[in-house]
Amino acid sequence: MSAYGEFETIMQEERFLVEGLTAMGYKVEVQAAGAALVGYHGDERTETAHVIIRRAQLDSASNDIGFVRGADGHFRAILSEYDRSIGYNEQWLGKVHQHYKESQTMAAAKSKGYIFRRKEVIQTSNGPQIQLQFVAR
Amino acid sequence: MLQKTITVVIDQNGNSSVDLEGFAGQGCDKVLKDFQGDDRAGVQRKKAAFYSKTGDSRDQYLKSGQ
Repeated sequence: MSAYGEFETIMQEERFLVEGLTAMGYKVEVQAAGAALVGYHGDERTETAHVIIRRAQLDSASNDIGFVRGADGHFRAILSEYDRSIGYNEQWLGKVHQHYKESQTMAAAKSKGYIFRRKEVIQTSNGPQIQLQFVAR
Repeated sequence: MLQKTITVVIDQNGNSSVDLEGFAGQGCDKVLKDFQGDDRAGVQRKKAAFYSKTGDSRDQYLKSGQ
């Protein structure tokens, strides 16, 4: 044993967010300049986002879900009250972060020359944890 | 030679922990940084093997000084 560190995931890179959402089964729209989100009536809302899950993939009464890049470079989610109430809530956002971090970790390890060994999903009382193992050359 | 392994655990909120085995000395910091990416650092600690290299050097120094 030699060192241990804990990190809080910050979603800053669009490609890992897109990969993460894709891994969760969503078809994602990327809008470099941002695009309006659409409400459940088909109305354009005032909110815009850079990464969008269109409502057709969600519940019949859902609004689009968007991720907008803030001035600090971090992505934050735009979720309607209704969508939060049907499960697109903090727990769902946690899963988004989890998939984001998995994509980011795999890419970082590859670019730095670490060798991927295995992936395990461990069920815990708080939900599934993803365990990735690498070895150094 | 002890294999150098890195275990990354990503919890249900997307936060991660990185556990290094078989590393010694300052190399640990670089590896932790490689896996931190843009994330905000929380708890970090060195484990016993980190200090083994320093210990070896000190032993060698004492021996050569005899």
